[in-house]
Amino acid sequence: MRFTFRALPAASGGALTPRPVVDITLDGLEAAPIECLLDTGALRTRMSAEIAPLAGIELSGDLTEEFSIAGLKTVGTMARVNLMVTDGTDEFIWDAPVWFCDPWPHPFGLAGLEGFLQHFLVTIHAYHGYLEIEPESELQDS
Amino acid sequence: MPTMTVSGHQYSLNSGNIEAALQGALPEPIHEHFVVINGRRWPPKQVVALVTGLDRADFTSHHARRVLTRLGFPAGRTVTGRGHHTVASGATAPPLSAAYGADERPAPSVETLRPYIGLWVAVCGDEVLVGAPSPKEVVAWLSQHGQRAQSMFRVVDSEQAITGAAPQ
Repeated sequence: MRFTFRALPAASGGALTPRPVVDITLDGLEAAPIECLLDTGALRTRMSAEIAPLAGIELSGDLTEEFSIAGLKTVGTMARVNLMVTDGTDEFIWDAPVWFCDPWPHPFGLAGLEGFLQHFLVTIHAYHGYLEIEPESELQDS
Repeated sequence: MPTMTVSGHQYSLNSGNIEAALQGALPEPIHEHFVVINGRRWPPKQVVALVTGLDRADFTSHHARRVLTRLGFPAGRTVTGRGHHTVASGATAPPLSAAYGADERPAPSVETLRPYIGLWVAVCGDEVLVGAPSPKEVVAWLSQHGQRAQSMFRVVDSEQAITGAAPQ
């Protein structure tokens, strides 16, 4: 499954460097998959807490962690969610912990190790501006 | 200020009061005809209904489009009910042409996204379905109009918003 890097307009004019992103659908919010930046340095998969109620996810606050991101102190609350990615032809569905954070400084979610990268074989073709993901074979067999 | 007749009523309209009437409103899905106002595509009938308060059954799309083009707004028509821009160029990257395979889906170009800087958008193919200040409003619009997006994100309003992303 292939995802082309996405370019955004720069507020100062021109365009920002295209970035590796994957659109991840949360169970309950099928109409609006969330753009997530592939972040190989992130331990968690994180999104804005604003997104959770839109998917019908109640953040109980049982499992939270405080951390800093982009210079901002924030609190993440974990919820297990069914996630899905599709390229319009195939789709992959998996269950994973997602940390919904408030406040959240980024305009997209972060697809990190837990929740995303551990579930896929990811190949980044940065020069050509795209990435490919395949479900890990061990996960498919289990 | 030019005076125009819509459905037998006379209205004094100019581009300024059209733009003002659209403040706070979100464009409905484009089925065929559209006009471009402040960089966004709007169904002509929605615009004229918002400005005049008339029922949409009282005038046609063609009439609404004619009124708006006379005020200087560019108009267009989609071929299949969705916009058809060219694929994003990725201007600052190495050549992307090799990336486009059979499974490639188009994405809105940088120029298509530019009017939405600072807003949350829902996109499908190369088209922006809706842009709004919050994801809640975007999702509400999708639900209201029975639309499904390919991706939802906020178009960054500062370059710093997408740097230094790794959690500590």
